Formats: sequence, C-alpha cells, structure tokens
Amino acid sequence: MTDEIIRMEELTKVYDTGEIQVTALKAIDLTIHKGEFIAIMGASGSGKSTLMNIIGCLDRPTEGRYYLEGVDVMEKSDNELSAVRNKQIGFVFQSFNLISRTSALKNVELPMVYGRIGAEERKERALELLKNVGLEDRAHHMPNELSGGQKQRVAIARALANRPQIILADEPTGNLDSQSSVEIMEIFSMLNRQEGNTVIIVTHERDIAEFTDRIITFKDGQIIKDEIRKEAGTC
Amino acid sequence: MLVFENIILALTSIKSNKMRSFLTMLGIIIGISSVIAITSIGASAKGVVGKEFEAYGMNNMFIYLNWELTQEGFEQNDLIMPEDIDALKARFPEDIKYIVPYVQAESSTKIGRVDGKVSMYGVGADYNKHKKNMTFLHGRMINRSDVEGKKDRIVIEKKAAMNLFNKENAVGETIAVVINGEMKDLTVVGVYEVPASLFDSMFMSEAYQTYVPYSILQTGDRSTWAVELYTNEDKNQDALGKEFTSYLSRIKDKEPDFYVFESAESQMTTINKILGTLSIAIGAIAAISLVVGGIGIMNIMLVSVTERTREIGIRKSLGARTKDILMQFLIESMIISAIGGVIGTILGIVIAAVGMSFAKIAVVIDPKVIVLAVSFSALVGMFFGLYPARKAAKLDPIEALRYE
Repeated sequence: MTDEIIRMEELTKVYDTGEIQVTALKAIDLTIHKGEFIAIMGASGSGKSTLMNIIGCLDRPTEGRYYLEGVDVMEKSDNELSAVRNKQIGFVFQSFNLISRTSALKNVELPMVYGRIGAEERKERALELLKNVGLEDRAHHMPNELSGGQKQRVAIARALANRPQIILADEPTGNLDSQSSVEIMEIFSMLNRQEGNTVIIVTHERDIAEFTDRIITFKDGQIIKDEIRKEAGTC
Repeated sequence: MLVFENIILALTSIKSNKMRSFLTMLGIIIGISSVIAITSIGASAKGVVGKEFEAYGMNNMFIYLNWELTQEGFEQNDLIMPEDIDALKARFPEDIKYIVPYVQAESSTKIGRVDGKVSMYGVGADYNKHKKNMTFLHGRMINRSDVEGKKDRIVIEKKAAMNLFNKENAVGETIAVVINGEMKDLTVVGVYEVPASLFDSMFMSEAYQTYVPYSILQTGDRSTWAVELYTNEDKNQDALGKEFTSYLSRIKDKEPDFYVFESAESQMTTINKILGTLSIAIGAIAAISLVVGGIGIMNIMLVSVTERTREIGIRKSLGARTKDILMQFLIESMIISAIGGVIGTILGIVIAAVGMSFAKIAVVIDPKVIVLAVSFSALVGMFFGLYPARKAAKLDPIEALRYE
C-alpha cells in the first residue's frame, strides 16, 4: 500500500443558517492514499461537494480531524490554507472558472503568480503545461475563443502549475459533450498513471466514475459504498 | 506583495472598461484640475504683483494726511508745506532719496486734428532713477533745472508720440494743455517706454501717462496733502515710515497719527495676503470635488467587486491570500485616481495657461503642487478604495465561486 495523503476522522460539517442547522457531512472516516484515482459519487445534496470543499481547504470542518499529508488542517491559519490551495492542490471545476479577458497563458500562470514565481519561469512553465494538454497554439487566446473541451484543458494545465500532488475535479465533464468528456478523463488517467498524481473526481455520472480505480458513493452526508476496483498503480 | 502584477492587472481592467473608468476618473480630474488651475493662477498673480512693485520700486512711499482725523476739519497749515519737505529732507538725509509733493492734473489737448487726453504726473528730478521700469527712447527725463525753473516741459510715452505726432521721436514738439485754468504749451523733452503691466488693463484709462515738473502744477502756497518718497531701500520700510510720520507730526505740532504713510512693501504684502487667502479659499472649495470624486471611485469599486465576485473566488481557490486580493483592488482604485490626478494636473495647467494668456501673464507652476496633487489623488483612491477592497478580500471562497 502507498502512503496516506488524506485521512479524515469523524469529520462533520454543519451549516448553521440561523434557524435551521443542516448537517452536510456526518462523522466521515476516509483515507486516501498517494497515487489513487478516485471518483466520489452521489446525488445532489448528498454531501459530496461539501467534502470536496473541505478536501480542497476552501472550507473547514465543524468537527473531526482532517490530516493532509499528515498535517492537521484545522490548525492552519487562513494564509496557510491559501498556501495549501496554491501548492498542494489543483482545482478543476465544472464551469471551467477561467478568468475572462485573460489569455489562456495568463490563466495558467495565475497559481504561479500567487506562488511568487518569477515572470520568466512562470511563462516557460505555463507554455510547457499548455503544450502537454495540446494547446500550445492557443496560448494567447481568450477563454471565450476556446471550446468547452479546450477551456477544461486550460483549467487542467492551470491546476498543474505548481506541481500539486492532489488534483480535485468537481464535475469536470459536466459541461462537456461526450467526446470531450472522454478526452478530459484520459488526461486525468494519464496524470494519475504517468505523473503519479492523486486524482479525485466528483461526479454523478457512472460512465465517468468508471474511469477511476475507486468509487466512493455518498448519500445523506454519509459514505454508503466504497468500492475499490483496482489497486492503484496496478494498471 | 505582487505590486507589479497588480499594476498590470489594474491597467488591464481599466482598459477593458474604458468608458466606466473615464467617468470614474472624471471626479478626480475635475477636482485636481481646478485645484491646480486656481493655485497656479494665484501663484502667477503673486509673481506679477511682485514684479509690478519691483518695477515701481519697493522703496516707494507716500505720506499723507490721515483722512479719519481730517474729517472733523483741518486747517490750511496742517497741509504739508515746502518747508516741511525741506525739514524732512534735512532730518533724514540718508534715508530720503527723493521727496516731492504729490500733484497731478489731467487735461485734454489737440495737436493738428488729433484730440487726446494727457494725465500729467508731477515729478522731481531723476524720478526715473527710482522708478526703474522706464526706458528712454528719445531725449531725457525731467531734470533739476526743469523743476527749479518751473519750465514748461513734458515727457511722454511712445504710444502718445505715435498717436499725437505720428512719429516716435517727438522731442521738441509742443503739447497745449490747461493747468489750473491757464493755457500752457509744454515742450516734449523725452519719449519713454514701459513694459506692459497688469495695472494697464486694470485701470484702463484713455489718457496718456506723462510726466511734468511738479512745480508747474502747484498753485498758491504750494501746500500739498500728500508727498511721494523714495527711501533707503536697505532699511525696513515700516520703521522708516513711522520715523518720518512721527517727525512730521512733531514739527507740525499735531497728534502722532495725524500723518500716515503707505509703503510699496506694505501694499504688496496686503495684496499678496489677499491673493493667498483667496486662492486657498477657492482651492479648498475645489478640493471638495475631490472628495466627491473619491466617493465615485468607491461606488464603482463596489460595483466592480460585486461583478468580479466569481473571479475573486477563482483567485482564492488558486491560492490568492486575503492580502493579495486586498492589494489587487486597492491598487486598482489608486491607479484610477492617480491617472485621474495626472490628467487633472495637465488640464489644470492648460486652464491656468489659457486663462493667464488672456491677461498676458506668464503662468507660474509650482512643481510641489503637482507632486502634492497626484499623491493626494492616489491617497483619495486608497482611502475610498479600502472599503471595497476589504469587502473583496473578505469574500468567502465557496460563496464567491457559487456566485452567478
């Protein structure tokens, strides 16, 4: 078995809207190892997005422990969490979330800007990343000049900018046609197999989940099924 | 701090919203340009006043009867007599360089078919040694023998020579005038020229300014209510004036403030004080528009933060810290108002230059004012940008990412 990268112990998230309290996650125990390729499934409102936000350090749990690479996230300051998002995690969103009126290249450079990497090194790395996703000729295009699949590839290049170990993708194929979806999923597979990234994909589509090695199913804030389809790295 | 990246970002954002950015800047542009224009006009006017007085001689002084006291009535021998002038001259030989009774008269004249009006100013010998802005083109100034001999002599301006005699060198020509009801033919002994002056346009007079020996304008006992002096310019003019008037009061056996003085220096100080106060007052009113401009910036930055909520969420998810977002919006509002400040400064200088060109005055621009204006406008941008920037920085990343 490979190293533990994420460990959650009795993780609970309660949204307090004043009058009603909504428990989005109920005492989750979850361990994810380095190099795993995971799909998190579940209907909307099942808690999968909340889990995603907590894994991505965009949100903090109400109770329980979350260890990221052995470090308790609850102990970290907001600035330290920003650094975690910057260095350890790469986000890919359903709606791409590229910054409009900013070229593909500049979008890819953005995490490196916040990582205080020099302009030249930034540009060089961004071009290389765009090349890896087959978009070197689109570097200076604006997001609205790109197709959905191209946008998502830019977003993946951006997620990889600071060489994070974990790639978190929230419904990455939700806005794509089936052919683009397959292409995007192949990129994730390749990242997992060749680069050794831990890839976590939230989806409600079984077809998409089938690309992964382990499918965790959520319902009402709890894990109802955790099926390991193949051992990581045994392709 | 990512200052450089944020500046680029701010410029991109300003460029992609040109009209909005311009309208936002307008408040600052109007504020800064009016402050700059007003202070520059004030400074230019001060410079002109200074030059004007310098030309006239900073050691010029008048001594005259105190009007407030003479309203209750005064006697003929309270007036300043020739012997009083002699006494003053004898008492202060070092400090009085020039002293003559203040007399002037106006008369119409006709040379050939040309009608004209002359304003005759009574002077003593060597008046032009003290009033330094006169340049003689032909002939000479009124001299000692003209004054002592009560000779019918006159010195005229180039403009008068050209208009009355149709030539510049009018020396030797005569001008017929009426002085104290008596017809006199005055012989031109000199033609002079003075540089254009602010007062020319202020006291527009159709009469030609001329100089004659003061002695020919005097009547009767040759008493006068005022005397014109040029004093020792190395000494404090106020102190000298006080010495002169108190001496005069003593020899005339009057109360100490029966005679008063006014020096060019004190006049200039008064005018400068008025100009200074005026430009500060108007400038302060103009500065209010800067505050209004600042509120405009705050307003548009708040709109911008709301519009870019999702972008802020994306940036935060990619690792932007609270401080990075704060700086991004703060720098943007500072740059908007600093650009407004620069445009406003240029506009203000143009307004001042155009305004001053109508008055034929060289515009004086204080570089300190420019530095102050631009940095003040950036400060306005910072102050009014702080609230929207904090609002942006404090956004919850999840909420922001969900924002449509």
